[in-house]
Amino acid sequence: MSKKKNDKTSLRHIRHLQFFMIAGYALIVIIALVIVTRLAVRKTDEVLKNKVTSLTSSLGVQMKLNMDSYLSRMETIGTLAFGEENAYTYDATDPNNDEYEALGKEKLITDKLFSLCIMENFVDYGIVYRNNRMVGKISNATQSLFGDKMFDEMSAMIKRPRTNDGWATGYKNDFRRIYYVKKVHDNAVLVISFYAHELDSVFDNPETLKDMEIRLVNQDYNILYSEDTDEVGNPLPDKIKSRVMGQTSASVMDDEYMVSVNSCDEWYVICSIPTEIILGEKNEMTRYIYITGGVAALAAALVGLYLSYLITKPVKRIVSNLDDKARIDLLTGILNKLTFEEYAANIISGSLTNEKRALITIDIDNFKNVNDTFGHAAGDKVLQNMGRILRDSFSDDDYVGRIGGDEFCVLVNARMSEAEGFEEFIDKKCSELCEALRNGLAAYEGMEVSASVGAALFPEDGVTFVDLYAASDKALYTAKETGKNKYSIYNSTRDKGGSV
Amino acid sequence: MIKRIAAALTAAVTLMLCACGDEATVHEQNETTEITLSWWGNDTRNEYTMAAVERFEKKYPDIKVKCSYSEWSGYEARSRVQMMSNTEADVMQINVGWLSQYSADGAGYYDIEKLSEYVDLSNFSSEILEYGRRNGVLNAIPIAMNAETVYINKTVYEKYGLDVPKTWDDFFAAAKVMSKDGVYPISGANKSMWLFIIAYAEQQTGKQFFDENGKIAFDANDLKLMLEFYNRLVKEKVIPKIEDYNRLCIDNGEYAGTVAWVSDAINYNKAAMDNGYEIVCAPYPTDSTHKEGDGWYAKPATLYAISRNTEHPKEAAQLLDFMLNSPEWAELQGVEKGIPISAAGRKHLDDIGQLSGLQYEASLVMEQNDNISPMNSTIENTTLIDAFVAACDLLLFDKASADDAAKELYNNYKEGGFTA
Repeated sequence: MSKKKNDKTSLRHIRHLQFFMIAGYALIVIIALVIVTRLAVRKTDEVLKNKVTSLTSSLGVQMKLNMDSYLSRMETIGTLAFGEENAYTYDATDPNNDEYEALGKEKLITDKLFSLCIMENFVDYGIVYRNNRMVGKISNATQSLFGDKMFDEMSAMIKRPRTNDGWATGYKNDFRRIYYVKKVHDNAVLVISFYAHELDSVFDNPETLKDMEIRLVNQDYNILYSEDTDEVGNPLPDKIKSRVMGQTSASVMDDEYMVSVNSCDEWYVICSIPTEIILGEKNEMTRYIYITGGVAALAAALVGLYLSYLITKPVKRIVSNLDDKARIDLLTGILNKLTFEEYAANIISGSLTNEKRALITIDIDNFKNVNDTFGHAAGDKVLQNMGRILRDSFSDDDYVGRIGGDEFCVLVNARMSEAEGFEEFIDKKCSELCEALRNGLAAYEGMEVSASVGAALFPEDGVTFVDLYAASDKALYTAKETGKNKYSIYNSTRDKGGSV
Repeated sequence: MIKRIAAALTAAVTLMLCACGDEATVHEQNETTEITLSWWGNDTRNEYTMAAVERFEKKYPDIKVKCSYSEWSGYEARSRVQMMSNTEADVMQINVGWLSQYSADGAGYYDIEKLSEYVDLSNFSSEILEYGRRNGVLNAIPIAMNAETVYINKTVYEKYGLDVPKTWDDFFAAAKVMSKDGVYPISGANKSMWLFIIAYAEQQTGKQFFDENGKIAFDANDLKLMLEFYNRLVKEKVIPKIEDYNRLCIDNGEYAGTVAWVSDAINYNKAAMDNGYEIVCAPYPTDSTHKEGDGWYAKPATLYAISRNTEHPKEAAQLLDFMLNSPEWAELQGVEKGIPISAAGRKHLDDIGQLSGLQYEASLVMEQNDNISPMNSTIENTTLIDAFVAACDLLLFDKASADDAAKELYNNYKEGGFTA
């Protein structure tokens, strides 16, 4: 009999248990990881969006501050023109002016303005009078643009009553210059202008946000400045406008755009960038989190398998031992009565009639005398020898069991090569067994102990365990009756036997 | 054994995860070299120059050019401040007079020949480069030649039955018929009028304004001649007062002629031509006893120089070469500064058919006249011109006699160290 074969049935439950344990563990780990991963992705999205919104909003505020600072500097220079008294006392429209003195005053004003603007990239820096007389530098382009309406149109640009000044561009749809106008007196306005191109340095965004579009728009959301000069003068694209309309200082982020708006006097600085660009790293980060989760799941599964192995290994060993103890006769090391009868009955009942099997029954002759004469220790030794001889004499395909105090049984399962001449094989096997028993059964040197053997064949002598055992027992009886120490093979029509 | 391997693997994974969290984040910005470029000019020049700079930055993405520009008068004053305070631009447009003013010994600007690896000087003849040398050092490279030129609105002159003027008297004759309509036969900004009057005075006196040492050779009487000529020009309504000069009056024919640089031919006259007027280059005014061109001066239109203090000579030279020799720059600049001296620039303009029109004609008038003298750069000194205009006003507004005004002007020049 094979010990492994015996283990298989008994350990099946353990294996099932182990499988369900691993499956359950894996399921819990996967569910936990999916939850953790989704939470991580969601939280990462949230944190990233907040951070990007915050940073972009900061950039928008910085652009507004840059713009404020730039415009403020112009206004300061304009204000400093009032440091020259003639700038606000001289009136070129006064008909009582002495022409020569007037030229002298105009020269003083011009020199003052030149000295104030010497380091600036201004296009215009001068004073325009109601009669369109100009002092300082008013460019030809500005003169051409406004013509003889210069004073009136410039005066109309003054929007802030507190400081009597204002900013404007886009006159006659010309956005190339941005004008600062400040009232000098009722008949004169100070004009400073610079190219809108100058705002490139004001709105110079960092390299990491090079895709950010920065625009300056008026209150009607018409573009006053954009790096893309083609869109200057056009309305702000609806997709941007709809996100910030009515807001004066806000940042908005949705699936399509990140837009920030900051008011700058009567204008707005609007920064926008497609979300897919600014959150381009998000998908990569999500993929990274999922990969990390997958790797963690695999690692957890491997660790779980190893821990399962560590846990079940001693249990398996204990269960295997207990199973062995339940099935094996401890003294002889072969199957006990119940196990043998169960196995043998199952095998025989499941066998086809063309299969060859044999049931061999062995009984120690006069075993009671052995115990009485040599003691129980010697008797146990004889039984142990019987177990050893039986295990050695039969293959792992055969079942060997102790079915009584000194009675043993072997179910011999035929191999296909032995199907022919099986009876002769059993006959030879019984003969060899008898020989082995004769030589190895005794516990001590000189001790005389023998055994009788009976055999019955399947299916000729019975197709059930009960019938086959009865036939085998009958053959054993025959051997006993005919002098013991011999074997007998059951034959219902003839009685065949031989001495051992 | 397995336990040990498992333990080692666990430790490794833990360490790896911990290590990930501690790693410093480094983001490297692209480093760009910033250089500065300064120039003077009008809207047209400012706009095409900035567009051309964008082309340069596209070709050299590691170089960023910061621009500084203004009208001429502002630029001259700004340039003086920057040169004196060592804050001048890396690459700058300069006037020929500044070479003597800021680089008497040749050390005031970078020696461009040291950068010939980056600037292709083979496009310039040695004679042309001589204009940019001081003390043998190549301080600057001329862009184009330039001279004050007379542009006449032929349509307006023909309206009054007049031919294109050739002599001084022609202008006075024209004023007699034009002034009733408020039309001036000729006009000019302060420097143009200054050179216009010097040309007249040189022809009348037979003397050159400067001697060979660069000192004013005119005496008080000669200056008186100039003041009286200006007075007569204004009072007979040949020209508007310098202070009243408004360039836009050229556009509608109110000024039937103007004196302006060759480089300003289109700049000044384009609007008038757009309005349907025929503008032609007139001969240099003279009288019957002098040749055409006597008393008139030519100079390099402008030059490009590199700062002696530049921290980025290589990048500055790359920009300089791009401005002088590249088709990309030449295409945008066209003949705005005059016909390019650079052989490469001129060839490209020829290839694309830009060597034509009023500006080109003005260049030919200048180049083909053998009587024009090389200009002494001091003649453009603003101090001289401002003092002259102030003296003119003294006479014009009867604040002084012609003799007194001339004496005061002469003394003014003398105190300034301009006289011999």
